[in-house]
Amino acid sequence: MEPITRAGTPAQRTTRRRLLAAALTVPLLLGAAACGGDDDGGSGGGTELSVFWWGAEKRAELTDKALALYSQKHPGVTFKKTWQGNQGYFDKLATLTAGGNAPDIFQLDDNYISEYAARGVTLDLTEYTGNGKLDVSKFPESLLKYGEVDGKLAGVALGENTQGLVYDKTLLKKNNLPEPKTGMSWEDFISWAADVSKKSKLPGTQDPSAVYQALWVFLRQNGKDLYAGKQLGFDEADITKWFALWKGARDKGATPTPDVIHEGNASDVSKQLVATGKAGTSWVWANQMPELKKSTDNELGLIAYPGDTSAQWARASMYMSAFRGSKHKDIAVDVINFLANDPEAGQILGTDRGLPPNLDVRKQVAATVEDPNMKQTIAVMDELGKKYGPNAPTVPPQGHSKVRSELIRVAEEVIYGRQTPEQGAAAFVAAAKAAIGAS
Amino acid sequence: MTASTLTPAPVAPAAAQPGRRVRRRRENLAGYVFLSPWLLGLLGITAIPMLISLYLSFTDYSPLIPLTEANWIGLENYRRMFTADQSYWHAVQVTVTFALVAVPLKLAAALGVALLLNRTMRGISVFRGLFYLPSLLGGSVALAIVWVSMFNRDGAFNSFLALFGIEGLPWVNDPDWALSTLILLAVWQFGAPMVIFLAGLKQVPTELYEAASVDGASPWRKFVHITLPMLSPVIFFNLVLETINGFQGFTSAFVLSNGTGGPVDSTLMYTLNLYIAGFVDLNMGYASAMAWVFLLVIGAITVVLFSTGRFWVHYSDNEER
Repeated sequence: MEPITRAGTPAQRTTRRRLLAAALTVPLLLGAAACGGDDDGGSGGGTELSVFWWGAEKRAELTDKALALYSQKHPGVTFKKTWQGNQGYFDKLATLTAGGNAPDIFQLDDNYISEYAARGVTLDLTEYTGNGKLDVSKFPESLLKYGEVDGKLAGVALGENTQGLVYDKTLLKKNNLPEPKTGMSWEDFISWAADVSKKSKLPGTQDPSAVYQALWVFLRQNGKDLYAGKQLGFDEADITKWFALWKGARDKGATPTPDVIHEGNASDVSKQLVATGKAGTSWVWANQMPELKKSTDNELGLIAYPGDTSAQWARASMYMSAFRGSKHKDIAVDVINFLANDPEAGQILGTDRGLPPNLDVRKQVAATVEDPNMKQTIAVMDELGKKYGPNAPTVPPQGHSKVRSELIRVAEEVIYGRQTPEQGAAAFVAAAKAAIGAS
Repeated sequence: MTASTLTPAPVAPAAAQPGRRVRRRRENLAGYVFLSPWLLGLLGITAIPMLISLYLSFTDYSPLIPLTEANWIGLENYRRMFTADQSYWHAVQVTVTFALVAVPLKLAAALGVALLLNRTMRGISVFRGLFYLPSLLGGSVALAIVWVSMFNRDGAFNSFLALFGIEGLPWVNDPDWALSTLILLAVWQFGAPMVIFLAGLKQVPTELYEAASVDGASPWRKFVHITLPMLSPVIFFNLVLETINGFQGFTSAFVLSNGTGGPVDSTLMYTLNLYIAGFVDLNMGYASAMAWVFLLVIGAITVVLFSTGRFWVHYSDNEER
């Protein structure tokens, strides 16, 4: 490198000084600008709350409307709304939280609520239920409890749902096939699906080996559970039975080929096989039926999972939680309260996130809802609701989402024929233990 | 990159005159000031975060808690990685397979096409542009999505096979083939090394070929005895770059598998596994440990490449070495 030669004239020197100054200032300015972004606060006396959720376009539309209604009733409160599909939602939420920028209000589900509660991200809402700022008096008790993690109310259920089996009515009609019925045994259901495959040339059902909520129902019907507190509620023999049941179904031709099963194991509602037209039945949650209907022109039907339906339970499909570090905690809680209890808001939100948590609102929505798919959802859930057994599961422990992804991985090993049901069961039990023990 | 460029230029004996020293100091200051935009970036965006991640790799940090609340757990993350985590070793295996196959194929494709394009012909620049095009799209998400739909069971590739009466496989959804489709995608994006090869080929003195022709050498002999040795520094450069790139493959695996590394972990690349550990399982401390091991291993591989380079890389400015 050649040393810089110093030029002589004063004019040149000034130019150089200016340049120096500029070189110094620019990064400083940039730094300042970067910091400036943080403190927004109430410009013009108003308060802006950030709200973040996942879902499809319909949910965004409904949530927008409900929040607009809140702003209308509380001038000065506005919302910065962000939403996206389920895939990647929790990655982004974790990143926001790590940066100290968690939204004031955000949607959670039972996959991660224990994680967020245990790490102290969510605001404990217990005191707000005590002082009346958060009204949970019209909530079914089990639904309220499902938001409690270690004695703290980490989230308010914004919807209630239960397992639902969605089938393609049009396909069955076209091929003169009988519809499946709630209360069928697993074996009957599999023979029915094999029959559908044979006559319609479309696989009768998605293979639910990797669908944790199907396994969960199956376990409960066998007197077991997915979790017993912070331990596993099952053993290898139970999982072997489950994997073997579906190996049998695959051998009978009741299910699609492994690659299609794999496609259907994606978390997005729109990728479910009944919606993409690649199988006759999909294993979902009852409130997802109207959403599924959007992806297909075929008529859909909804029933419970096979076996004894008293093994199913009312679960909080989604929660709204407030950020413990929010600058506007009281308003955030008030907004959540509004979304959960206000009759007008409830009317707008409908059953998109599940049945409204407030029983009065639920009754009102059931009486006035027009969407035939939502109607069907409500009818089926009402019917099932009468049969729910006691001992509904409490909210899953930390590590639940890892248990789910491990189930998909191991079940697919079995589905692709790389492991026997026995090997898969051993692998899954080990992985699930590590998942809830390690976190 | 040779050692000679790193040796500092001869410096005038220090303590010559005090006046000059002051002036030099001022010049140094000016230099740093001009460097400052870059320096601040390096410190703020690279160096400091890296040091923090080194610290985090010894903790149980989760992104959901403040940094200060992370517990020091010593070498536990490293112990778990090396002794207890099967998926870690699986990811290592997938990544090594990917790099070992994709990098040589990509370089071969790049060199082959560069040789074809290294001629004077009408419209040759159009061809060069066309061959470079896939690389312009880079590690783009859109491209990976196109790839998925091309190599699905009902994708374009299988329709093509059907013309010959062959029933294709669900390539991207078949655990035995998913990684191969990723490799193919990587190889197809050979544009960047190709352009560098092309530039290298233009540097080879034509006299050498002419002399060889006079001696009656076959094209193959010319290639082996003139082109390859003359090109070896460029080959070396591309090899190092593409190896590092190959190990870091992420986007296509992420898109193809919906971020899971599936089917059955067949596309679980190292970086994807790291991402899952940090952002999905929220074990950021563990993910940091993975990142550091990764950095060290890639560094070691690069060092090994450099040390073998001595034996086969031919620099024409030999007299200086």
